[in-house]
Amino acid sequence: MDNIKLSYYEFLDGLSDEDRELLRVFFREFDLNFSLSKAEKRAFRQDFEEAITVLCERGASVREACERLSLTNLGGFYARPSIAWFPLDDAAKIYPICLEHGLQNNFRISVYFKEEVVPEILQMALTFTIKRFPGFSTSLKKGFFWHYLDAVKKRFPVEEERDAPCQPIKVSISGSSSFRIMYYRNRMSAEFFHILTDGTGASVFVKALAGEYLRLLGINSADEDGDLIDIHETPTKEELENAFVKVEKAATGSGFVDKSSLQMSGKLSSARPCRVLHFKMNKDKLHEAAKRHGVTVTVYLLAKMFLATSAACDELTGDINIQLPVNMRKFYQTKTLRNFAMFTGIKIPIDKISDTDELFSEIVRQMEEKTSKEKMHEMITAAVNIVSSIRYIPLVIKAPVAKLVYGFIGENIYTTTLSNLGIVKMPKEYSEHIESMDFCLGAPLLNRLACAVVTFGDITTFSVTKMTPDPTFEEKMYKYLSDDGIEIKVEGSEYYAH
Amino acid sequence: MHIDITYPPKERGGFNRRRLLHILRWPFIALAISCPIVNLAIGGPAWCIIALLVLHVVWTLVFSPDLVEYNRTSQSIKIVAYVCILLTLIDVLLAPGWASFVVPIVCFSGLAIVATLFFTDLETQKHNMLPLIIFIFLSIIGSSLYLSIWHEKDFWPFIVLDSLSVVLIISFAIILGADFKRELKRRFHVK
Repeated sequence: MDNIKLSYYEFLDGLSDEDRELLRVFFREFDLNFSLSKAEKRAFRQDFEEAITVLCERGASVREACERLSLTNLGGFYARPSIAWFPLDDAAKIYPICLEHGLQNNFRISVYFKEEVVPEILQMALTFTIKRFPGFSTSLKKGFFWHYLDAVKKRFPVEEERDAPCQPIKVSISGSSSFRIMYYRNRMSAEFFHILTDGTGASVFVKALAGEYLRLLGINSADEDGDLIDIHETPTKEELENAFVKVEKAATGSGFVDKSSLQMSGKLSSARPCRVLHFKMNKDKLHEAAKRHGVTVTVYLLAKMFLATSAACDELTGDINIQLPVNMRKFYQTKTLRNFAMFTGIKIPIDKISDTDELFSEIVRQMEEKTSKEKMHEMITAAVNIVSSIRYIPLVIKAPVAKLVYGFIGENIYTTTLSNLGIVKMPKEYSEHIESMDFCLGAPLLNRLACAVVTFGDITTFSVTKMTPDPTFEEKMYKYLSDDGIEIKVEGSEYYAH
Repeated sequence: MHIDITYPPKERGGFNRRRLLHILRWPFIALAISCPIVNLAIGGPAWCIIALLVLHVVWTLVFSPDLVEYNRTSQSIKIVAYVCILLTLIDVLLAPGWASFVVPIVCFSGLAIVATLFFTDLETQKHNMLPLIIFIFLSIIGSSLYLSIWHEKDFWPFIVLDSLSVVLIISFAIILGADFKRELKRRFHVK
């Protein structure tokens, strides 16, 4: 830090009087924008100084740097004390109740740029972006009946990645945030505790952050297709709403309870996760392979997962049940950036799993039936009814009971998960500077792995978060996909063992 | 299948609380089971209840601290509350006759210390006041009940506790103003 500070003063020494005057004017009204402690203000000021230095070193003039980093980008966000608060949405309410040391429901979205990440600029991008996402600029608190999110105005630091992906985020300390932004080489990663948002909401944030980062680096885009949220707009109430309660209740609610499913046979690792792998494939090749079977990419990947899972499972009888999160936004009109997803399970007896067209047709049949609007409507109704019926019970009483029930109906009923975030789009000018993206689920408790898919540009990334050293699943997936003519580049972490 | 490593090596030596808890859970469970068995076997007063509570206190305060709202206010209130419960249990089960005098003294001393900690870091702690508020309300209810039922016995500690609790609530309302109202609203929401 001292080195960087010194280099800013060295940088100042090398400037003309005119440039120094520009910087003096730039920082003249700096304090007005921050109604924070002296230490926080100092940290913010240092961020600005470092960013100006880096931009000028990269060829921008002082005027350009000041324009890009203009204080108006803060939108007065830090000039006002934090008084807002947000009740958790109906899907998020269970997550803080089920928190345990080393266990947290979180997920991660990463963007791979074509050049190494510049941390000083990423820090500024985060400072400018967070104002548009007041639901993220929060700290988890415990109420008498429910947990809630308390607005926080502080510097959210970007960190260099040093640990395994999706490690628990420390949310216990006053003002601690429920997300973190990290960088490693050309990768920018955002990890979220699920209380904040789901994959869709998180992708809106990550896109906005990546866009702002590239803008600060001098890449301009008109965003004609409206792929990005405008971070200078005022956040709307709809973006912060609990969309579950807006859905009209169905006559009956159902869909949470099911019998236990098979688990893969690999030994559970104590490192959580013990490995993360990304299968990077050409989007069109994958699409063609799915088309050959007359199915969608999700169905195609599910079929391959059923085959790989059955190979990684030594049991001869029982069901393999793959959990499939369903984005409710496709059924109900909402702009919410918070959780609005339900889930279903595609279940096939292990002895009926074979590499035939029947497997595809069975998955298609179950998906049509189980992810229908009616089924999802019933599930939302059940979720809303449960939350509503226990709302007057003090948290201290309902938390242990809810934890116990969640333990019974939780992961036991699924073998693994496939979450497909779909195609993520960025404005053309920004896309040219982005290589790919990946989407990673946090380590499961009992399931041996969890899978997630995202497509950006020409690349579809299938990620596996592993909880067992047994390599059968990924080796089989690799084989099945390669056999269908899909070229795969596998990236990932080393095996993390304690 | 060739794997390109694109993640940094995990830094070694990190403290893994989950593993520690996994290891420590068994001696704690063994102690929790053996205490009542030994107590039943040798007879006498039910000291195992106190032992079980002590195990719970050690577990929750030392080994498995709160995962949400771990702050000076919540932790000090937790300690004061546990001390009061333990003293009451010792009085009821082992050595009767002094808790009604000692417990309110511990309560108001604890409350005074927590209030000092609270007001010396008001900006941060005003967002952490739920445990303090609940403790104050319980103190008011408890001391009022005691004073209305057993008013002829050593009652001055209860009067001090009652007064301190009321003074603290009024201070919160005056010093924090709208923030206090907002805090109560969000802490007791049912949405």
